[in-house]
Amino acid sequence: MAVTTGFSTTVFGQDTLPKLFRHVVRERGHRVAMREKDLGVWRAVSWHEYGERAKHVGLGLVALGLRHRDVVSIMADNCPEWLYTDLGTLSVGGVTNGVYTTDSARQVQFIVNDSGTRFFFAADEEQLDKILEVRAGCPELVKIVVFDTEGLHAFKDEQVMSFDELLELGLRYEAENPGAFERMIELARPDDLAILVYTSGTTGPPKGAMLSHRNILFQIDYSDYVTELHEGDQQLSFLPLCHIAERTVSVFNPLRTGATINFAESIDTVPDNLREVAPALFFAVPRIWEKFYSAVALRMRDATRVGRLAYHWALSVGARVAEQRIAGRRPGLGLRLLFRVADFLVLDNVKRSMGLHRARGTATGAAPIAPELIKWYMALGVDMREVYGQTENCGLATAMPVDHIKLGTVGLARPGTEVRVSPDGEILLKGPHVFLGYYKNPAKTAETVVEGWLHTGDVGVMDDDGFVRITDRMKDIIITAGGKNVTPSEIENQLKFSPYISDAVVIGDKRKFLSCLVMIDHETVAQFAQERNVPFTNFASLCRTEEVQRLIGGEIDRVNRQLARVETIKKFRLIEQILTAEDEELTPTMKLKRAFVNRKYKDVIDAMYAEA
Amino acid sequence: MADTLLAVANLETYYGPIMAIRGISFAVPERSVVTILGANGAGKSTILKTVSGVMDPQKGTVTFAGREIQGMDPDKVTRLGISHVPEGREVFPFLSVRENLLMGAFTRRDVAGVAEDLELVYSYFPVLRSRAEQRAGSLSGGEQQMLAISRALMARPRMMLLDEPSLGLSPRLVKEIFEIIARINRERGVTVLLVEQNANMALHIADYGYVLEVGRIVMEDTCPRLLEKEDIKEFYLGMKESGVRGTRRWKRKKTWR
Repeated sequence: MAVTTGFSTTVFGQDTLPKLFRHVVRERGHRVAMREKDLGVWRAVSWHEYGERAKHVGLGLVALGLRHRDVVSIMADNCPEWLYTDLGTLSVGGVTNGVYTTDSARQVQFIVNDSGTRFFFAADEEQLDKILEVRAGCPELVKIVVFDTEGLHAFKDEQVMSFDELLELGLRYEAENPGAFERMIELARPDDLAILVYTSGTTGPPKGAMLSHRNILFQIDYSDYVTELHEGDQQLSFLPLCHIAERTVSVFNPLRTGATINFAESIDTVPDNLREVAPALFFAVPRIWEKFYSAVALRMRDATRVGRLAYHWALSVGARVAEQRIAGRRPGLGLRLLFRVADFLVLDNVKRSMGLHRARGTATGAAPIAPELIKWYMALGVDMREVYGQTENCGLATAMPVDHIKLGTVGLARPGTEVRVSPDGEILLKGPHVFLGYYKNPAKTAETVVEGWLHTGDVGVMDDDGFVRITDRMKDIIITAGGKNVTPSEIENQLKFSPYISDAVVIGDKRKFLSCLVMIDHETVAQFAQERNVPFTNFASLCRTEEVQRLIGGEIDRVNRQLARVETIKKFRLIEQILTAEDEELTPTMKLKRAFVNRKYKDVIDAMYAEA
Repeated sequence: MADTLLAVANLETYYGPIMAIRGISFAVPERSVVTILGANGAGKSTILKTVSGVMDPQKGTVTFAGREIQGMDPDKVTRLGISHVPEGREVFPFLSVRENLLMGAFTRRDVAGVAEDLELVYSYFPVLRSRAEQRAGSLSGGEQQMLAISRALMARPRMMLLDEPSLGLSPRLVKEIFEIIARINRERGVTVLLVEQNANMALHIADYGYVLEVGRIVMEDTCPRLLEKEDIKEFYLGMKESGVRGTRRWKRKKTWR
């Protein structure tokens, strides 16, 4: 295994993804690369099979007319075929681009045309219908390939083929053109475009960020920052692969670490799959961590008195250990022994219930998180590290170091890169991780990367030790009518820490006071109402009950007490609809989009200020 | 809206350790027809059984005409004016049609009134008069359903709980039976709580509807408005856009709005 320098842009001596992939497939042969659950049984795929299938996808595409640098789009939930297509396309000199399965036909059309996609991979019938609906308006599209053809046996179309047919085509091409694949692997150069990642675009249409082989290999080389992984270690893949974080963790990093990727059956089964897999490393977004926490908090409320006492005692022991660790001290022998007892009696069970008992490290990122939440996990004995970064720097920009933790910050710059704060407070990044620019959009690129410095659009500060604290998105900063600057995400994070609040958007730009829109957590609030005999029928009626209004009001008051006077929230409204990832109010990672919420609920917001 | 005749609040009912209904609240106004829609196993029948006293709730209240009746014995509930027409008819097969009808009037002492009501149900379902002396078990499914409804009517209820009256009947019979249910409601002022899988029929005769999914209410509205909802159209009325290929098989996600 290569020595981790954290600075290198080669991995195992390979300088592009196709070469690295070829190398590890040869090295690892029939050892397990990934697992997928099929009819209730985890089915393993070896590195050799991974390599063969990727090769046949790539050659099949070449047989269909794929040229060097052609864009291939994949619209599917996480599955082995996604990975075969990703590495297969890259291996023959193509560029891959992921499309969120929650995107509408209209959004698919935009991305296909903006990226000039020539080959489109659809997961199944449902995603196929989206591309078929708009294909007349996609002049560059050559072929559509469907992973799962269930329900499509009677369907015949010139432009559509199954994944199996593509593999056969690739197999034939290989037989007829021996050595062609080897030559294609050499096509890519380190600074060539490897993948496109469309950013969700809370303002304006999405933009395709271009990431090079060098960008990606540089980040792969830092894959051990949370914990060192080895072959045989398990990981669970469930966040969208279109997102750079999940792509890095589940596709790229395992090329180096050799960890086994297990695909969750669906987003609903993640808690079950997590318990089955019990991963060594687990990366998730704050929303997931919040949900796990809420589930435990809720279970504890229903627990027996003894159970509750034991939980609180064990957690307080854990919290003392965590505080020592945060302070950079090794806990005393007595405390360490006490923690062993607390872990044995209580904490280990809590971790087991979440499937985190084998996790040597966990990470949170892609959205802000309340420091209290990290502390809670640390008290359980889960090593949780906050990371920060964005698509434009290929994922990770800063990470919390193992031996020096400052909660509330996102840690230090990734080694080999620089972080700077501009005079107007913007976080700037420089290094081999900075992307090539936005696809076919030099104007936007020039605005974003100035003299090698990536302008993140995030506002923050850096202390003398180099720890970065992000206060907010630059464009999200609220300036009240009184001229006070308020950073809404800090308040929102505090609100989201409540088990009853799933998400919140603070409002107040050019207004006299702050208000907020709250999305309640359906499950916990329904349980709250049921426990107190508060009658309700559907979601809207639950939101409208006096008791729920008071409950959320109380949660807001709790947060208000921690805020400065100008920052307190004076009014709030609940969003009376259950939102899903298909709704435009939410990002695919289930965050509320501020700009969109402000527009969509304008009447509700205006009413709050009108009656004041 | 008229006064509430039946109010259910935070009802929880279990089958052993399994929670069949997970906190349900709804109201049925006097003289109205209210329907509860839901798939198999959603908990519809459990609600009716809990209201009529066949099952006892773990939690929550059932208020009928201002009086809490949860956990009361079924015969007491019947005396208060609630008649339950169970799923699958459950007529007494070895008794004659007339005897079955008189069983429905078991709790009544007014002989003249019972005779009057017997005439009334015969007028609603003339076929029952011609089969009056036949064993109920030998009736067709549709006739048995008519008998079950008639038997419930014989208690001269203020409210009828109907559990899937359309089950296993031909479309023509379903239409007939629903028309009579509507008439009973209109002419006799009987309040109806109707549980159905035949959403199309139920939504056309009811005033107000609730949609139940795995033991929880996910939607409520007036029936004309429910008929317009996308989720109702796709998941309960079987209407969906056929999509670009003409044979869409996948299902949209339910959003209940």
